[in-house]
Amino acid sequence: MIKRILIANRGEIAIRIMKTARKMGIETVAVRTAVEPNAMYLSLADVIFDNTDDATDIPVFLNIDKLIEIALKTNADAVHPGYGFLAENAYFADKCLDNKIEFIGPSPDAIYKMGNKTIARKIALASNIPMALGHEGNVSNEEEAVKIAEKIGYPVIIKAASGGGGRGMRIVRKSEDMEKMFIIASKEAEKAFNDPSVFIEKYIENPKHIEFQILGDKKGNIIHLGERECSIQRKHQKLLEEAPSGALDDKLRKEMGKIAIQIAQAVNYYSAGTVEFLLDSEKKFYFMEMNTRIQVEHPVTEIITGIDLIEQQIRIANGEELKLTQKDVKLEGWAIECRINAEDVQAGFAPDPGKIEKLSMPDDHYVRVDTGIQAGSAIVASYDSMIAKLIVKGKDRKDALLNCKKALDKVWIKGTKTTLPFFRMLVRHPKFQSGNFTTAFIEKDLEQYHYNSEYEEMLAAWLATKLFIEENLTEESINIDFRKSRDISPWLLNKRMNQF
Amino acid sequence: MANDKLQIKKLYAVSSDNRKYSFSLPLKHSIRIGKRNYEVQLKQDEKYGTYILWKNRKYPVEIVRSRQNKYEILFNDISYTFSVETPFSLQRMKVLSKQKGKAEKEFVKAPMPGKIIDVLVREGSQVLRGEPVVILEAMKMQNEIQSPVNGHIIKVSAKPNTNVMKDDILVEIKVD
Repeated sequence: MIKRILIANRGEIAIRIMKTARKMGIETVAVRTAVEPNAMYLSLADVIFDNTDDATDIPVFLNIDKLIEIALKTNADAVHPGYGFLAENAYFADKCLDNKIEFIGPSPDAIYKMGNKTIARKIALASNIPMALGHEGNVSNEEEAVKIAEKIGYPVIIKAASGGGGRGMRIVRKSEDMEKMFIIASKEAEKAFNDPSVFIEKYIENPKHIEFQILGDKKGNIIHLGERECSIQRKHQKLLEEAPSGALDDKLRKEMGKIAIQIAQAVNYYSAGTVEFLLDSEKKFYFMEMNTRIQVEHPVTEIITGIDLIEQQIRIANGEELKLTQKDVKLEGWAIECRINAEDVQAGFAPDPGKIEKLSMPDDHYVRVDTGIQAGSAIVASYDSMIAKLIVKGKDRKDALLNCKKALDKVWIKGTKTTLPFFRMLVRHPKFQSGNFTTAFIEKDLEQYHYNSEYEEMLAAWLATKLFIEENLTEESINIDFRKSRDISPWLLNKRMNQF
Repeated sequence: MANDKLQIKKLYAVSSDNRKYSFSLPLKHSIRIGKRNYEVQLKQDEKYGTYILWKNRKYPVEIVRSRQNKYEILFNDISYTFSVETPFSLQRMKVLSKQKGKAEKEFVKAPMPGKIIDVLVREGSQVLRGEPVVILEAMKMQNEIQSPVNGHIIKVSAKPNTNVMKDDILVEIKVD
């Protein structure tokens, strides 16, 4: 039985895992780093391992030997990797097991097979899983790429074999572009995943991204917990997810769920996992990849099923058999998750790191907030830009959207620019409201990435004018005096001083 | 009297896409919409920081930067850039822009994928043709990306230490 878990992660997911562990009476160990020594996740841990004097170049959450050492030193009998970092590293999972530390996730073998996209493709093919037309195995050079693409027919997509998260991915529409795109994708893949190998598939135009949540135990029982709709993405980065998806009826859900389970069975999968599909306009679906970890967007599934996925992961790691059968899984209501990131929507979603000065989130009964950030926290450039996940529920999609709109207006974040204006626009967009959108939505259907209500610009203009007056005009008259700034407000002065 | 000449009755906040908002002086703490005046208050407290209270709603506000008469304001999480002009400076602006004909926008794009090493201009900066605006590192080489025109910067999208793809817009320049 697991008694103490080392959390090999930080931020909101570390907190998410610790909350469930506490509920189950399991202790947790968190790692304090020099980058964020006062981070919020540390306050929830039972044991803190101080790693602030670590002089190595790589972050501790990517340092396999160091993490094993910490687990052994702190008597942790299990490791939860969260998402990102080493969550899908088969070698890390293997190393944990070698040291008699339970890895809360699937087997190293399943991680390896699904992590390598060309192997995953072969397995899926062998199991008769529907897939986009493609070439088996990696493509070695530009000439071969051109030949394969001619055979499949343009447009095609080049993907990194060890890839994920949209990196090492390029869409090619004509043979003239192939050489260039092949090189870019391969180089990007090498940089991001330390593996330049890529493969080629038919590119499905304007699909929906639909993924199925899987749960399996070590006895071979596998069920699915329904789907998530993740079509709202920009450059393959998900921004908003919902569950269920309006594009699926019970029949299609059953069919896709069956296939998802089949894929998981093919690698003897246990723990929580996600099978990603593309769904085209004719409701034909294609297996894309399987993610062998807990995902950022897992809360929307938890809300509509009432199942704590982290708890299930821990129980499965303990060797417990699934208590749930497929029949027990009922999807109720609707859930939407907005990823509120420190990004500048008006500057192409560029990260905007900085210190969060004020943070206040709604606490209505229909809102769940998963965050690792509080007022005073810093969004540091070395990690991701997430501030909080705003998860909203409703009895149906319309109700959830309405609640989402209300909740977004109550979020108050000061210190960095955020993706809030994007979501405020999105929930008001007719096409988004209709549910009839695809992964091309942001690129093709949007003219503006943010929402501002009437008069907001005018109020901002008023403020600019007020500041100008305070800085440049003298008190009693309205004569310009550019040399003196006597009337400068303490607020502005403060702001200026903070800039240095 | 020379002093009278400097008496200012109005100020104009001109947005980056040239919308003008005029305010009479002394500045009123209210804004007129149709036939009604609505009170505007700039407030600050421990919980919310600085905010504007308008029609019973709080809006977060922030000064992102200010330089001379240029202000970038974050209002309800959206950034707005204004130059605040007096009637005289506004007149001068008009004359200048008339002399140079209708100003056009020019986009400076990344000629290749790479990493932004440095951004040498800010919103509002004047640039001359051939003047470097961004340093882009690609294939281990540092490249100076130059302004193709004389003008002033109206938007800076490039950020140091971020990666850009080919044809990503780095800066927008209003042609003078």
